[in-house]
Amino acid sequence: MTFDLSEEEKIESPQGSEENIKSEILTVNMGPQHPATHGVLRVEIKTDSEIVTEAISHIGYLHRCFEKHAENIDYRGVIPFVDRMDYVAAMNMEHGYVMAVEKLLGTEVPRRAEYIRVLVAELQRIASHLMFFGTYSIDLGAFTPFLYAFQEREFILRIFEELSGARLLYNYIWIGGVWNDITDGQLKRLSGFCDKMEREIDKYHNLVGLNKIFVERTARVGVMDEDLCYDYGLTGPILRGSGVKWDLRKDRPYSIYSEFDFDIPVGTGEHGVLGDCWDRYWVRMREMLESIKIIRQVLEGIEAGPVMGKVSKIIKPPKSEIYLRTECPRGELGYYLIADGGKVPYRVKVKSSCFTHVSVLSAVAPGLMIADLVATIGSIDIVLGEVDR
Amino acid sequence: MHEELVQIINGAVPEAKAQLNSAEIGDSSITVDSSAIYKVCETLKNNDKFNFNVLQVISGTDFLPEGEEGYLELAYILASFTKNHEVIIKTKLSRGSDDNLPKIDSLCKLWSAANWLERETYDMIGVDFVGHPDLRRILTSSNWEGHPLRRDYVVQEIFNGMVVNPPEKMNLEDQQFGVKTNADSLSNKNPMGI
Repeated sequence: MTFDLSEEEKIESPQGSEENIKSEILTVNMGPQHPATHGVLRVEIKTDSEIVTEAISHIGYLHRCFEKHAENIDYRGVIPFVDRMDYVAAMNMEHGYVMAVEKLLGTEVPRRAEYIRVLVAELQRIASHLMFFGTYSIDLGAFTPFLYAFQEREFILRIFEELSGARLLYNYIWIGGVWNDITDGQLKRLSGFCDKMEREIDKYHNLVGLNKIFVERTARVGVMDEDLCYDYGLTGPILRGSGVKWDLRKDRPYSIYSEFDFDIPVGTGEHGVLGDCWDRYWVRMREMLESIKIIRQVLEGIEAGPVMGKVSKIIKPPKSEIYLRTECPRGELGYYLIADGGKVPYRVKVKSSCFTHVSVLSAVAPGLMIADLVATIGSIDIVLGEVDR
Repeated sequence: MHEELVQIINGAVPEAKAQLNSAEIGDSSITVDSSAIYKVCETLKNNDKFNFNVLQVISGTDFLPEGEEGYLELAYILASFTKNHEVIIKTKLSRGSDDNLPKIDSLCKLWSAANWLERETYDMIGVDFVGHPDLRRILTSSNWEGHPLRRDYVVQEIFNGMVVNPPEKMNLEDQQFGVKTNADSLSNKNPMGI
């Protein structure tokens, strides 16, 4: 194919350019079935050639009205439903809900059960961040990292399968403790996993995070500063990526997190601007290392004992209400629970971090290239099950 | 902390008539008058000592005791990420009717997060947020009828020409696996004590 330069010059020349080249706003639908939207999210994009001028998110394709279901089932029956919100971090979902109910009941949870809870929650955090790492690479056009990430994630899912019988939706953390005890053999395998995982994360970062193409695609893209985060209520790795040292596990400790020693990684803007996609990626990678630190301390500190506390057969919290938030892989998850003294919760309201995170898209998108919008959506790391609930 | 907040609110916005609901179990909350919600939130956001800079939740609950008129309760949960506080602000609204939804001021000018949270509350509970720039349904379809989290909500029968929950497709207990006795015997031996 020949390329006629003189033709191109003719178009760019001032004469006739206004007549021949017309600029028009084009509406493009991204989704709902689009691999780059991580589920059934539809983003209506108004584009001026490659540049996004407006992005309107449409959600609700996965809406099951979990909150209505919860009004009709007893307190234990809600646990499998909360699993299905963020289905790649189900352990963290259960942990928050169960703690809220226990607070109302005043249940004492055995030490060993608390340790196991922290252990599975941190393992789930690693698995979830690995999922982010894999799918984000695919978003940016690299397929191989996905296979690396899923190899390690598979180990965690195997452990969870042995513990609970399920690979994704566990129903493992119960009111009063956990369903099943962990064996010494499993703890030993986890200790080996920790050593391996540290090396792996280093490898991933060298393979992907420092890759020139990856840096070019993510640095200075989708910048969210601190004020924007507060304005939209963004939490978790996004807030930390913007340089705010805020982690509920440290700042409002729940469970037994106050006993562990770990750091809060924050974004530094070392490859671009503070709060860009690369910072969010880097925060998640370092969070995995911190999770490994916590897991090591759990493996050292865990003692023999029961894994289920004393809970009455019928759970009936007194008339009360509670708002409890926990730090999940994707951000803060809050349960606002209203009990009326009956067998079923009167109201379970979930503060979903993903829901608020999607809402920020319309503020960040204008001015981005379409490909950069894909990179931004990927870096927010949403799970539509939690957005729509 | 709550007593101090009540004083701050009543000092700055007397019409809010803030009251403390202290709880021994769970969380305490503050009830304010619904007409003053914007000013109350503005006061709390701009307060130097507490600085509630993040709007976390807008939640609606329908209280409908049998034989009574009932009311809606909105809970605004604010959090401070700089001073590490969190507070539940509650307000009561009448239940209204389908064509006359209860009204309350929108907080969109204070927090952008309020945009979607209010849309969700409108969709699920049916509250009209006055001053909201784009009050549409968000989780359900735009032509859906009713507000699912109301206690007297009945699912519409026909939606876009389709039958909603057709009986032959419902997973009713006696149709599950085609064995009626199975379901019955299961519920008798329920290990969870439901």
